[in-house]
Amino acid sequence: MTDELLEAFLIEGRELTAQAADDLVALARAPGDKARLDRCFRAVHTLKGSVGLFDLPAMGRVLHVAEDQLERLRRGEGDGQGLFEPLIEVVDQVDRWLDALERSEALPPDAAEVSQRLIDRLTSAGAPSSVVQQTGEIAIHYAPRADAYFAGDDPMAIIAGVPGLRDLKVSPREPFGDLARYDPFTCNLVIEAVSTAARTDVEAALRWVKDQVELSIVAPVAAGAVENGEAEGFGRTIRVEAGRIDRLADLTGELVIAKNGLSDLASQIEGLADGRAIAQALRAQQARIDRLVGDLHGTVSKVRLTPLAPLFGRFPRLVRETARALGKSADFEIDGGEIEVDKAVVDGLFEPLLHVLRNALDHGVEAPEARRAAGKSETGSLRLSARTVGEQVLIEVADDGAGIDPARIRDLAVARDLIAPSAAQALDDRGAVDLIFLPGFSTASSVSEVSGRGVGMDAVRTTVGRLGGRVEIVSRAGQGSTIRILLPISMVLTKVMVVACGDERYGLTLDDVVETTRVPADRIVPIRGGHAFQQREQVIPLVRLANLVGAESHARGGAERVVVARVGDEVVGFAVDAIVERMDAAVRPMSGLLAGARGVVGSTLLANGAVLMILDLQELIP
Amino acid sequence: MSISAVGDVIYLQGPCRVEDAETLVALLQKSRKVTLDVSTCESLHAAVVQAILAFEGQIVGAPTNGFLGEFVVPALGRTIQP
Repeated sequence: MTDELLEAFLIEGRELTAQAADDLVALARAPGDKARLDRCFRAVHTLKGSVGLFDLPAMGRVLHVAEDQLERLRRGEGDGQGLFEPLIEVVDQVDRWLDALERSEALPPDAAEVSQRLIDRLTSAGAPSSVVQQTGEIAIHYAPRADAYFAGDDPMAIIAGVPGLRDLKVSPREPFGDLARYDPFTCNLVIEAVSTAARTDVEAALRWVKDQVELSIVAPVAAGAVENGEAEGFGRTIRVEAGRIDRLADLTGELVIAKNGLSDLASQIEGLADGRAIAQALRAQQARIDRLVGDLHGTVSKVRLTPLAPLFGRFPRLVRETARALGKSADFEIDGGEIEVDKAVVDGLFEPLLHVLRNALDHGVEAPEARRAAGKSETGSLRLSARTVGEQVLIEVADDGAGIDPARIRDLAVARDLIAPSAAQALDDRGAVDLIFLPGFSTASSVSEVSGRGVGMDAVRTTVGRLGGRVEIVSRAGQGSTIRILLPISMVLTKVMVVACGDERYGLTLDDVVETTRVPADRIVPIRGGHAFQQREQVIPLVRLANLVGAESHARGGAERVVVARVGDEVVGFAVDAIVERMDAAVRPMSGLLAGARGVVGSTLLANGAVLMILDLQELIP
Repeated sequence: MSISAVGDVIYLQGPCRVEDAETLVALLQKSRKVTLDVSTCESLHAAVVQAILAFEGQIVGAPTNGFLGEFVVPALGRTIQP
């Protein structure tokens, strides 16, 4: 199988299993929901079709049976009692197999066995009751035993006795092999037929061989409906490899920097004799490029927006598995999957959300007995939702469990030497609950196998922080907890240049930077109490960044490292100790006490978790 | 005797029973390029149908029996390579 095909299949497969599982869970509650049943059938039908492209017989077989059972329900045969649960298991199993395929490009060795077990469960759960009156056509699959001829059976005569025959097909059960050694008395036939008679009559005609016969319902009309339904479902979309979009975004970023150089060029031309007219034309052209680059930037950011649904869709199965492992039961509700956010946010949220959901089941939702004692329903409720708040998206994981006890958190944090006892007591309840985000808190506390994976809530906070967002927790004793994750919708990554002044690092937005250069000490001249240097016919004022931000500088004398940047209408050189790197960062505006800090536009997190201040050069210049 | 061969044509006549399969297979093993005439055939046992299927016998004639003419002959024709 080709990688691309498999990759596309994995993406589509996950969407379809998520869709089907979602519908099945809803159907288990309200089996009469025809629209859901149709949609679920379509998802399984499409999934089965896609599986057919690969050599995955175990997966194909069980999906085929699942599709048949769903089809029966659609025809109004049976009410689905007892069927939805095995169907959910089938879909979950398929989802697990998709994970295995992604890891090793093959199904686990026990796949055939697991598949058969699920098929048995499906067929026994969906066994037709004797009173069913069926008006649709019946497909007959009759595979006589190898000793049928010896036993005196004539399968042809038996099938001839079926009323209402409409179609017949005969084929060998196994390849005939070497015809020179053909055994005329070993039965090697599969007979397939379609009957328009009532199911009970067909069953009666085949009653002597019913152990060799499978009946299913044919639905020629429904098949047409399926095709139409699918056609409607397709939007005008194409799947594009994420790397290409990232490259496009990178190029757009580079374009922004290249464009910045134009304005400097225009100023230089303006200074030339007779340069005024050309400079004006250049500026007009530059304004146009400015606008186009801005447009391009916005469009590329929008291309990166993808709905949360595929991400959210991966959780129902994991929640079910976790709940089962913990012996708890919880209804899991998802809302807001249609909201679109930056692809980087979608990609980065899986681990943190998984951890938060597991935590909620492990430490939030109580065991059934405890819930009963507390006067709650035995089944807990867990809700994952998203909604937009201005330019941001708010993702919440809410449970109706026991809530977090601030006193207990204080004790635990003190016991683990994460905080001094006096400091812990000084915290208000909200601050105490916030302690769970301290590194070392949750890894140590999560003794249970489920949430203890070495990932703590601190990792959740760091990951979300790197995506430009923040996490907070609201908890009410006895009523449950809500984890709120606030993230930017469009993670327009800002190009940042990281510079060093002494031991401190600062970020400058690359939008402002014209160039970086080394200026030998002898080219620096004192001017009116300050300094300046000459470059390409231009005198550029030079300031020491360390002085502006109040940092220590390890100035060595000799040549200066200078970042030439545009500040308002002026070009200014900023002497720094070193230029460390360029990076793409999600810059967050300053909040809280620092919101009013002068000279800082925002902050971003470095890979090691340290905060990098992004400077506002304009505000820094006295 | 419901199975007889004349040159390259094998005639299947009346009801063809399970024991006829052996005769037919013997004939088919001798000469693969044969035509099976079923115009006066009344029924085919599954073992005979299976032999025709295995040896890809070419069927001619339209039997009067409804089930045979309507379903079995077309079903065999369907699986024969052109």
